[in-house]
Amino acid sequence: MELKFYIESGIIESFVLGLASEAEVEELEHMRKLYPELNTEVEFVERRLERAAFDEPAMPPVEVRDRVLQKIRWEQGHAYSDPASNYTFINIQPKDGNHITVHRWWKIFFIIFFIMSKVFLFLAIFYYLKYRMSQDKQGYNLPRQVKQEQVQIAGV
Amino acid sequence: MLIEQLVMGKPAAKELLYDRYAGAIYTMVLQLVPIRERADDVMVRVFTWSFQHIGTFQTSGYKTLFAWLMRKARELAIKEALPETALTGSELMKQEEGMLQRFYLILPADQQQVFRLSYFKGLSITTIARLLALPEQQINNILGDSMKSFRQFLKDTWN
Repeated sequence: MELKFYIESGIIESFVLGLASEAEVEELEHMRKLYPELNTEVEFVERRLERAAFDEPAMPPVEVRDRVLQKIRWEQGHAYSDPASNYTFINIQPKDGNHITVHRWWKIFFIIFFIMSKVFLFLAIFYYLKYRMSQDKQGYNLPRQVKQEQVQIAGV
Repeated sequence: MLIEQLVMGKPAAKELLYDRYAGAIYTMVLQLVPIRERADDVMVRVFTWSFQHIGTFQTSGYKTLFAWLMRKARELAIKEALPETALTGSELMKQEEGMLQRFYLILPADQQQVFRLSYFKGLSITTIARLLALPEQQINNILGDSMKSFRQFLKDTWN
């Protein structure tokens, strides 16, 4: 009967809401040791309050979740990483109009372009020299052919 | 199970704690701090605190994580709350929509006053007694009556 009166006084609700004084909290702790069934009653009250809050939840903005989870990541020393993480990116590139930013693939493209230009230059020189050699050879053979023809004409 | 994983510091458990309770705790916080930016700050602090102090849950006297979080959320929210005179009206959110606000509105005038100063403002019995120029015992009795009403309110609606 005393326990029922104690429960009906609203002391548990006062404790759960955080309104109980230190003396009341100590008394409740003492009573919980004496009457373990009080623990069940505390849980009932907490569950009722929880149901009440869950019946009308107001979801906080997504940014709040990001801020909370970002703190977890910092605490974990970046060991826990989410590929979809929302980091703040600070651009320290100069923005004076004289610089441009290009994709890294351009670097590979320019290396290939440079090598190919050297190859084509080498081939151009090579074939040019080959052409010159063939021209020189023709120039050397032509006077000999003319001389042979003159000898043949003289013989006739 | 969740508590054990939280004590072990598992990130997935921390995410689960947030996902499970953020909505319910935010509802309670908005009733105390009707300014969204400040309520958001309270939420971040509550959950950061909970991850760091989860080891104290077992000895806190609370049986559910929700009640444990709600207690801390109220403590932090009261520190963040502005005086009512500083609110412009456009910032008010959920002031009269929340479960505690609805309960507050059904109380008799004297209980309303004491409950508001105690729960929403976080004032001690001594301070309330001084403010209202009433004996502490009387304030205690009024608050006790409002808690009896709250017990009945909860039982009637969410039993």
